[in-house]
Amino acid sequence: MGLFSYLKSTILSKIVMAGTGVILVLFVFGHMVGNLQILIGREVFNTYAHFLQSLGELLWLVRIFLFICLILHIITAIRLYFLNKSTKPAKYQVKAYVRSTLSSRTMIYGGIAIFLFLVYHLLHFTAGVADSSIYGHVERYGPLGIFERQDAYYMVIAGFRSVPVSLIYIVGVIFLAMHLNHSVQSMFQTLSIAGPRLTPVIVRFSRIFAFIVATGYILMPLTIMLGIVGGGL
Amino acid sequence: MKLTLHIWRQKDANDKGILETHIADDVSEDMSFLEMLDVLNEDLILQDKEPVTFDHDCREGICGTCSLTINGRPHGHEKATTTCQLHMRKFTDGEEIFIEPFRAKAFPVIKDLVVDRSPFERIMQAGGFISIHTGAAQDANALPISKINAELAMDAAACIGCGACVAACPNGAAMLFVSAKVSQFALLPQGQPERQKRALAMVNKMDAEGFGACTNHYECEASCPKEVSVRFIAKLNREFLGASLFEH
Repeated sequence: MGLFSYLKSTILSKIVMAGTGVILVLFVFGHMVGNLQILIGREVFNTYAHFLQSLGELLWLVRIFLFICLILHIITAIRLYFLNKSTKPAKYQVKAYVRSTLSSRTMIYGGIAIFLFLVYHLLHFTAGVADSSIYGHVERYGPLGIFERQDAYYMVIAGFRSVPVSLIYIVGVIFLAMHLNHSVQSMFQTLSIAGPRLTPVIVRFSRIFAFIVATGYILMPLTIMLGIVGGGL
Repeated sequence: MKLTLHIWRQKDANDKGILETHIADDVSEDMSFLEMLDVLNEDLILQDKEPVTFDHDCREGICGTCSLTINGRPHGHEKATTTCQLHMRKFTDGEEIFIEPFRAKAFPVIKDLVVDRSPFERIMQAGGFISIHTGAAQDANALPISKINAELAMDAAACIGCGACVAACPNGAAMLFVSAKVSQFALLPQGQPERQKRALAMVNKMDAEGFGACTNHYECEASCPKEVSVRFIAKLNREFLGASLFEH
């Protein structure tokens, strides 16, 4: 049994999509809640960033775990995309969709857009490659400023001051929200959490969740770009 | 009623196929969709042309033989209705109607609107049965089954195996069909001895026949003439995962 033998089975592939999806969705939510602290101020945000950095090996374990989930999610998605494309060699001349949605039919394209955005995001804020002028600033804190830590607050504020950068983030988040709109409820169905009373609640939850994620993530670049947050850096 | 029909004509599986337009002049609104095609075929025969080939059998909505994708929807737009039970009064005078076969790689076109749905038979042969003697009618009555399970099993067993789910699915998946068949046995005591073996065998056969994977569009449920619910697909996932982990 090879590591990727599950790809031969449609249902096991779906379950891997949903299982890795759960992890990624939890990360997306946690990442949003943590970063929204930038709206409070430099002190709170830098303390949070410093706390994450101070986790050391633990932070890397989490990063590696998330990376594995992401890779499995992508490999499985590509395999399912080509499988599902191959099952309909002759297209309908007229096709009427009844229950499927724009987000359910554009999962692969949304996924590709999110992936490209994610690469940019990591280069921008995690690796500091996309714009090195915002990266590596130091904040002095504590009594008389005797301690030093990375000024993550400056990095984000200066990063989002750029209108094109903020627009990239807003568009990326809209793709993410469309992806979540279908995938959160889909995840529950695939993991067999479904029923006549439960499913409508889950579908509504999925929509609300996507909306909350979109609002939370758009709030950061939007308020910073407009100078509402971090006006004086 | 006067209707413009665009009908898919295809000589055999290798032919490319084309939409052919016919005018149906004198359609009664009391006709079923298939009777409307019968009248068209009689006209075609009188004109010495090849009649349109389509599948049908009971014409009572219970056998699952009729098919047709009508205006992009398997069995047409009416909810919970097979093509044979779809009546022309559900269409408007002067309407253009597109009639195509059920399309999927696993269902190759045999001729015109007839497709080969034998992959469903082979999935059933792989595990859609009970090997033990379950007794006669009175034995069934003597076996207590909870009302909820009895009703769910009946809901699953309502599947007539027509293949509309595959035709409607953008991924050409047969999950709704397979989930209904696996569930109807998994919910009843008679189905327990072979429960895991059945789930594995039927799903593996489904994969081998070239059906796609479910991405939860739920188009299948919307097209199913027997309104089989996608909750059975959720159940199938659980049945299959459990069987994969514990049955060797």
